[in-house]
Amino acid sequence: MTDPTTATATVCDLTVVIVDDHSIFRSGLRSELDPALRVLGEAATVDEAIAVVVATQPRVVLLDVHLPGGTGGGGAEVIRAAAPLAPSTLFLALSVSDAADDVVTVIRAGARGYITKSASGAEVSDAARRVAGGDAVFSPRLAGFVLDAFGAVAGETAATTDELDRLSAREQEVMRLIARGYAYKEVASALFISPKTVETHVSAVLRKLQLSSRHELTAWATARKLL
Amino acid sequence: MTQLRPTDPRFTGHLVRPRLRIVAGVCAGFARHSGLPVTFVRTVTFVLALCGGAGVLLYGWLWATTPDESADGAAGSDARRDPLPKAALTGSHATLPDTRTQLRDPSPGATSGPTVATADAAADAGGGEPHRAPVTEILLGLALVGTAGALIANRLGAELPLDAIIPAIVALAGTGLAWRQFAELRSGAGPRSSGMLVRALGALVLVALGILLFFVTSEQPNVWTVVVAAMSVLVGVAVVVAPWAVRLTRDLSDERAAREREAGRAEMAAHLHDSVLQTLALIQQKAGPHSDAARLARAQERDLREWLFTGAANGPVDLAAELRGIATTVEREFAVHVDVVSVGTVDREVPEALLAAAREAILNAARHAGGSVSVYVESSPTAIEVSVTDRGPGFSIGDIPADRMGVRESILARMQRAGGTASVRPGPGGTGTEIRLSLPLDVQEDTP
Repeated sequence: MTDPTTATATVCDLTVVIVDDHSIFRSGLRSELDPALRVLGEAATVDEAIAVVVATQPRVVLLDVHLPGGTGGGGAEVIRAAAPLAPSTLFLALSVSDAADDVVTVIRAGARGYITKSASGAEVSDAARRVAGGDAVFSPRLAGFVLDAFGAVAGETAATTDELDRLSAREQEVMRLIARGYAYKEVASALFISPKTVETHVSAVLRKLQLSSRHELTAWATARKLL
Repeated sequence: MTQLRPTDPRFTGHLVRPRLRIVAGVCAGFARHSGLPVTFVRTVTFVLALCGGAGVLLYGWLWATTPDESADGAAGSDARRDPLPKAALTGSHATLPDTRTQLRDPSPGATSGPTVATADAAADAGGGEPHRAPVTEILLGLALVGTAGALIANRLGAELPLDAIIPAIVALAGTGLAWRQFAELRSGAGPRSSGMLVRALGALVLVALGILLFFVTSEQPNVWTVVVAAMSVLVGVAVVVAPWAVRLTRDLSDERAAREREAGRAEMAAHLHDSVLQTLALIQQKAGPHSDAARLARAQERDLREWLFTGAANGPVDLAAELRGIATTVEREFAVHVDVVSVGTVDREVPEALLAAAREAILNAARHAGGSVSVYVESSPTAIEVSVTDRGPGFSIGDIPADRMGVRESILARMQRAGGTASVRPGPGGTGTEIRLSLPLDVQEDTP
């Protein structure tokens, strides 16, 4: 279901591909997106998505977590198959579910962020821009999940920065504020650090989320179903 | 066998054992099923029992294979908890005669005959209404008294076949113990540890030992006594274990049925997830975050999600679920968007005061700020913290007139009375308001 775009190309445009199995959602999102975002194509299944992403090489893919086709792996499968063939492409996961296991699967496959589908077009555009800028995008729910999964509530704190299975005290503070609904800038002013430092902490947490072997990240999420 | 209870004239399609029972409800169930008078069924069973124990065997077999009335339908957890252990308890004397029949067969004229009669009589006298008579304990006591009596009689010079009595009593005690373990296992009251298994095995060994003693002490062993002894041990053990196995199998099939129901539910959830939730998300997205349509769609989505994903969980009251409920109600009444994020789990009852204060804080944000309200719950082992953040004009607690009860009374004072704290501070980036409620859990240890 590739859809050759009619948008006029300007140099600094951010190119995106929308992947979702509901055509009504795709067209809805497309019309809501910031005009500065140029939609290169759409896809409805895992196989279409891989083909479109590899063919168009967009900067950001807005990727639904649940997708038919392929081997049943959904969004995570798209990332695993397409990422090696589209090295400059970044993936932002969109999900209707908030289910922890979905989120963890797609983040661990390599998505750079996660937002819910009920987010407005402006919010999605902003998230896409931040992902393109190299940041990780955490929704409050994802931050809450990270705190839970890394045992921050039980008082587990990483002693060294390279520890993968626990969050450092600062990372926990940042995650707590994001879970409270703070924007990155607000987190920065609340903690008296620069926004760039907040980004660094969030990226570090994303890295831990992707690389950690903490069993809660998979087992716990499946058992609890909901964030 | 007197008619101690009215027979239910209702005919059921399946043979089940009613909850009102004398021994294990087999006769009553059969009478109801076949339409014969229950007294007649009982008399026939009793007469058959005297014919070499055939009635007893039949009774035991029916008891083991016929489901309980209450467990037959879609039994609730309370119905399931109650009657089954009772069945196990009352059932213990239904099959005890079985074992004794095995004992009696090789050497007719042993003293077990009268004991059967007394056990049955005692059981019937105690029957009539559902009861939890300590039958096993009584049997064990009788066994001990019997041993003592026999020993004294022997010492006094009476000619008693001690070599038959003592093994019989040992086997009896073993059977009683085995059934007692069974009852505990079924009721779930006893510790489900390996200790129980050890005790059950011990009981079985006792049964085997009793039967073996019977042959070893009675006469000079030859090939046939050994063969018969081995067979008897096997049969004895089988009799003790069989109902257990039957029950476990039934439990397993119950569990499988529950799993199938759960699978069906999951399938429906997946379908709704793909269709309805997607549509609701789209409505919210198209309608703009603060429109009425988006609010309605959001409330609907939350309801559906609650029903789909948390219906199966039946733990203690979930603070996050309660707050989501509050959020739904508030969203219906005000043009706000309330986001609830919860971290950690609360394994105990949440104090009403905290919930009420949180509700008040959310309402306050909805009334005075509108827009987006973030609710964050963090439940650690030592404290529960709830923070409610809005992006409204903000206010300071000092600016509120003393006669305004909202924040001061229903949030701050309420939390203080509950042993917690509440604070009002500027929201993120200096805009809006953040109300933080914190409740140390140690203080609330004894609160119901």
